[in-house]
Amino acid sequence: MKTDLNMMGAKGAIVEEAEGKWGMVIDQDICTGCQACVAACAMENNISFVGEEDAGYGRTQHWIRIERFWEGEYPEVKMTPNQPMLCQQCGQAPCEPVCPVFATPHSNAEQLNLQVYNRCVGTRYCANNCPYQVRSFNWRDYHIDRFHANKVDGKSVYSFHNQFNPDVTVRRRGVMEKCTFCIQRIHKAQDTAKSEGREVVDGEFTTACAQACPANAITFGRVDDHESLVSQLSHQKGGVKHLEELNTLPRVTYLKGG
Amino acid sequence: MSDKFSRRDFLKLAGVGTVTTVLTGCIAQKEVKREPYMQMPEYNYNGQSTYYATTCRECAAGCGLVVRTMQGRAIKTEGNVNNPLNLGKTCARGQATLHGLYNPDRVRGPIKHARGESLYETPVDPDADDFKNADSNMSWEDALQVVADALKNNKPEEIAFLMGTASDHLFDLVTDLANATGINAPVRFSALNMFESRATLSQAAENLLGEAGLPFFDVGGAQVVFSFGANFLETWLSPVSYTRGFAGLRESKTKLRGTFVQFESRMSSTAGKADEWIPLRPGTEAMVALAIGRLVSELRGNPLPRAFSDIEPLDVAAKSGIKLETLEHLAEMFASSTGALAIPGGAALGQSNGLAVAEAVLALNAVSDNFGKPGGVFLSPIAPNQTEYQRPASAKEMQEFTQQMADGKFKVLFVHGVNPIFELPASLNFKDALKNVEQVISFATFPDEMAVEADYVFPDRHGLESWGYQRVATGAAQPVLSGLQPVVSGVYKPDSTELLYDARATADVLIAAAQLADGKFADALPFQDEVEFLHSKVSSLMTEADGFFSAADADTFIAYFQQNGGWWKLSDARGAPNVADVLNRNISGAESEFAGEGEFFFIPFVSPTLAEAGANKPWLQELPDPTTTVMWNTWAEINPETAHELGIENDDVVKITSEAGELEVPVYLYPAIRPDTIAIPFGQGHTAYGRYAQNRGVNPASLIGQRLNEAGDLAFAGMKVKIEKTERKQFLSRLESRIGVYNEGMEEH
Repeated sequence: MKTDLNMMGAKGAIVEEAEGKWGMVIDQDICTGCQACVAACAMENNISFVGEEDAGYGRTQHWIRIERFWEGEYPEVKMTPNQPMLCQQCGQAPCEPVCPVFATPHSNAEQLNLQVYNRCVGTRYCANNCPYQVRSFNWRDYHIDRFHANKVDGKSVYSFHNQFNPDVTVRRRGVMEKCTFCIQRIHKAQDTAKSEGREVVDGEFTTACAQACPANAITFGRVDDHESLVSQLSHQKGGVKHLEELNTLPRVTYLKGG
Repeated sequence: MSDKFSRRDFLKLAGVGTVTTVLTGCIAQKEVKREPYMQMPEYNYNGQSTYYATTCRECAAGCGLVVRTMQGRAIKTEGNVNNPLNLGKTCARGQATLHGLYNPDRVRGPIKHARGESLYETPVDPDADDFKNADSNMSWEDALQVVADALKNNKPEEIAFLMGTASDHLFDLVTDLANATGINAPVRFSALNMFESRATLSQAAENLLGEAGLPFFDVGGAQVVFSFGANFLETWLSPVSYTRGFAGLRESKTKLRGTFVQFESRMSSTAGKADEWIPLRPGTEAMVALAIGRLVSELRGNPLPRAFSDIEPLDVAAKSGIKLETLEHLAEMFASSTGALAIPGGAALGQSNGLAVAEAVLALNAVSDNFGKPGGVFLSPIAPNQTEYQRPASAKEMQEFTQQMADGKFKVLFVHGVNPIFELPASLNFKDALKNVEQVISFATFPDEMAVEADYVFPDRHGLESWGYQRVATGAAQPVLSGLQPVVSGVYKPDSTELLYDARATADVLIAAAQLADGKFADALPFQDEVEFLHSKVSSLMTEADGFFSAADADTFIAYFQQNGGWWKLSDARGAPNVADVLNRNISGAESEFAGEGEFFFIPFVSPTLAEAGANKPWLQELPDPTTTVMWNTWAEINPETAHELGIENDDVVKITSEAGELEVPVYLYPAIRPDTIAIPFGQGHTAYGRYAQNRGVNPASLIGQRLNEAGDLAFAGMKVKIEKTERKQFLSRLESRIGVYNEGMEEH
């Protein structure tokens, strides 16, 4: 059941009371912090690298990042379990109602937070309002920064452009972006299933991060299907949803384990 | 090139199509666009992807890949789910291999140049002008003649090959060439292996387990894992496979969550996952392992074996800085477990007593009686096509090789797949020795330091454009031969059917040159091309039993080999070590010796994200280091307390001096390192290697001397260094908030 907050004056916001559709479980006990998910995400989603200086200003475009904190002091110092942080695809997302141009709508069909790049005017309100700090802004046209170009036969050639995934929009300067749960993969799987006259099977596809993870710490799937692996894992003891108290209804469950 | 089976020919461009990327953004000064290829490869449909199985060449582990291609371009690498080594998984470097394929700094074609001359031009103002690669100034025909002349016009003993650890088929080809013609057998080296101390591990395995090679440590099946410096979740031996093992240690439906203890003076990202991190004093690893062995034997009520009889735990506690209670608690943990495993590796073995450390730690497994049992130590299966483990050169062997160069024994040196000028410590003077080699021919794909110092650069194709195979040395339960095939025919210029990077497979170059050189060379490599050579090596597996697939004829077998990304056996072929008297040996528990005069122990470690050759891949540069979150640079890790005493703050540049050299590097206050130790990651500090790598960070190898351990590995962790604060500051870019560790900067410190 859904409540349309538009009726109550909050633009573009939809509250899902159910658990949502797509969800993810991340097992922090086995995440080694190896960054394979970060690299896989970047390669899948045409994410630009920003270079040393902009990275120092906190302008990196990672859609997923590994957080780790320290507890105690030497010699009793401990690294907290690595915590991959990505868009939680909130059922009640703080980023959504603050966008003045409806560039961060909620997908009714997939129950995900969308980002409409060609509608975004770059106010960055959504990023300000995201308690998970998982939105990143294109401060420059990183992909066509001249630094990456080579002069070949008198022309500027950007050889990295060969690698773009044609299923994912390339973002330009002034646009906000964030994790999409690899919605291009969701759509492809749905299209394939539809053409074969069947439902999408659990485990048939997964997100780039989950696919790469050498420890298999990330599980993706339908959380509303109680037979699915992700649903079963998310109901395990020790499952935590971050900043749940803000009533954001996050779709990512963290298993603390240990 | 073969017209028979070459998929490169399949990929020969035919048909026209377009690839457009949707563009967004309100400001349209320039376009982000990808030009469609003039002609499309066969078997490609617009809007549909084609997937090819191949093998990752970013390190020598041999993980299987499946690469998504679209209209002749590789756009995403995934793990090959069938390959028993990585079961569909990849590490960050495997993902970023595309940044090698499309790297703008790749060598454009065969080049003759003066030694020391850069292979690309950096614009004065990068905002206003483009980079320019050195133009190819000779044809491949001329290049083949150069190689042929080099082979023909020199005595066999004056010809040397220095090779990297991937890929194995090329190594086999050169080995065959060497065996048939009397030229020097190829020498293989990789900095990764140097920092893993492979020779030490292999020697210890020979001494204790009865067979030289890399033991297989069944982390996944164990209940308690003690690792002495083995950074198996980062770069050690086969990180993807060991990470899967680690996940198995932690979670299993059939057993309790396993415990993991890491012994090392600096908390690596592997140690960050440990339940307990034991920051022992560097040099005391052997005695700590022996003391634990003694305490475990006592707890179990076993008679005290000779290996542990001389060790005094109280004495060890004093020397190692580990409390006796901690040693007893660890022994209790080890003794009470039914599946306790101990792993020696990394910096612990890279010391003057490294062999003793490896033996002492392996001996713990004898106490645990886990040899050949689940959760224990096995002998890695011997890979197909091989009779024994082929160890890359140790530091000692590299010293000998370099000496031969310096003595003018080699008239011509061929280098492939390794960048010795960067990877070897500067104290070896490899670059100077190079001056006494008349002709240096590099097959580098990228303009690395070695290519710059060569007379000729004949670029090899990138791994994703290449044929070949890689033997899985360790990490899989079965014998695995991972196969490579080109997933794309090359990278093309926009609006053109010309290759942007006119590279040629080194195997093809050598085969063609051998034909030109004629005589014994032509007889040694009687092949039309690389593919035919590959078939000659692989087809013999057709008749072997227990294969993952079989075929009635060679053509079918080869087709399956390509489709599946290799060939492997189905049954577990890990061997049980022959362990008659491991505990009746004398193993020295003496402290290691340290070279140099400073007050700090120095631990160089391989960057988990960059490793030895990742610095030219910008997305690897932008991956935060798992422990410090630093990107794009090198740092020195210093304990905050020590730094405070020395008046050093984050980002202060310090000068570090060892007996071998000195360097200046910004400081990262690292809370998880011994106060008497400093650590620097290896991976940056290039003086060439493209725009993303050059002049970025420092290379800690310049601090490492040439002292060896008994097994001939470099005692790279056996150095003492001095620190001196400079007046400079250099701000490190890190992912974590600049408020950083302990809220420093937020309050008075």
